[in-house]
Amino acid sequence: MIGPLLKGLRVTFGHLLKPSVTVKYPYEKREVAERYRGRHILKLDEDGRERCCACGMCEEICPADAIKLYGKEDPEFKYSDVGKYAEYYVIDYARCIFCGLCVDSCPRGAIEMTQDYELTVPGPGRINLIKDKGWLLEKRGGE
Amino acid sequence: MLAAIVIAVIKMLVLFAVLMLFVAYGTLAERKVSGHIQDRLGPLYCGSHGFLQPFADGLKLFFKEDIVARESDKFLYFLAPMIAVVPAILAIGVIPFGESITLFGRKIYLVMTDINVALLYLLAVSSFSVYTIVFGGWSANSKYPLLGGLRSAAQFISYELILGLSIMGVIMIVGSFSLVDIVHYQKGMWMVVYQPLAFIIYMVAATAELNRLPFDLPEAESELVGGYHTEYSSMKFAMFFLGEYANMVITSAVAVCLFLGGWYSPVPFLSWVPGPIWFVVKLVAVFFFLLWLRWTYPRFRYDQLMGFSWKYLLPLALVNILATGGVMIFLQGGI
Repeated sequence: MIGPLLKGLRVTFGHLLKPSVTVKYPYEKREVAERYRGRHILKLDEDGRERCCACGMCEEICPADAIKLYGKEDPEFKYSDVGKYAEYYVIDYARCIFCGLCVDSCPRGAIEMTQDYELTVPGPGRINLIKDKGWLLEKRGGE
Repeated sequence: MLAAIVIAVIKMLVLFAVLMLFVAYGTLAERKVSGHIQDRLGPLYCGSHGFLQPFADGLKLFFKEDIVARESDKFLYFLAPMIAVVPAILAIGVIPFGESITLFGRKIYLVMTDINVALLYLLAVSSFSVYTIVFGGWSANSKYPLLGGLRSAAQFISYELILGLSIMGVIMIVGSFSLVDIVHYQKGMWMVVYQPLAFIIYMVAATAELNRLPFDLPEAESELVGGYHTEYSSMKFAMFFLGEYANMVITSAVAVCLFLGGWYSPVPFLSWVPGPIWFVVKLVAVFFFLLWLRWTYPRFRYDQLMGFSWKYLLPLALVNILATGGVMIFLQGGI
């Protein structure tokens, strides 16, 4: 009768001595997987123009209805190499479920997901969670 | 005469302060030990490794909204938290924590008062703590506290009896109710060696008296929300909390006095270490054991709790008393 009780005590004492699994989050951060699906980024091509051609596939496939965009013609190929670009591109991170279907559906590889998962925003309400193109666009040095 | 009063007041204040300090750091120890047993860290950022956490908790509780249940019995509802800490504070008066020291040419005994019925007194004041739970549970006019109060009334009566019977063997061997005499008797050998069964029964009954897992039926979180203190908030809740931890400290101290040799060192070559330090070390060890138990065993079912008490512990305690008496008679060579 006493044996199993002592065995239980031994197990808990063992755990007392074991190192804890806690990650002290704001001070130390976890390594995420290589293919982790974090925040999105709109990619640029070699010339620094946007890859997005505003086809709307991502908006169409998004199960959470988080993406809104509309395109604009670009006859001088200033912003894109196909003569059309997304003038307005918004992802609502209050809706986004980070499924990655937008990335899969993109025919030009213009949208990708990064390893960045720190999306908390200050203040009440969800307005700060709606991110526009200025925030989403890939940043290149010297811009 | 005056000097005696001054010494008594100083002893009182020091004991009270130390008890409250133990209570404060008992809560921290509880949280740290709980955390580490569950492979967590526990409080970490309030001071170094959560060292200031008890004070932060106290401040927080102080500024919480003070809710009074509307249909409650107001007198008992306010009385219950008031008397929550009283048993522990009363009990600390008879607990010896060292031999004596000489200050300014005066011999000062390190015990508040050495009365010759200290153990009876301890049992009397510790059974007082049932009123806290029963009043708190029955006055709030709410179903969960009521169930907690009902359970604890039955549990306290059962385990109070066993607590009393378990220390009977010690009293028989020493032949005195005074805690100082009992500790003096253990100078050579700890009482736990003569009375191992009594020690186990005492620890079980004490855990039940303290409402700690695996006997925390009066406040079983998963069944009764908070049990008897469900309807209390702010400082009233803090008083219950304070009382619970103060009782834990007292129970550990009594266990040390009765079974673990009080302030004497376990091995002769360490006897240069002052008595109070040994006392605190042993007290902390017993306190840790109570925390350790909490995270090891699951809660008893109510009927199992009662069955365990009346069917197993009570006969065992009686057998222990009979066996002790028999051995004593045998050693004396007949009646």
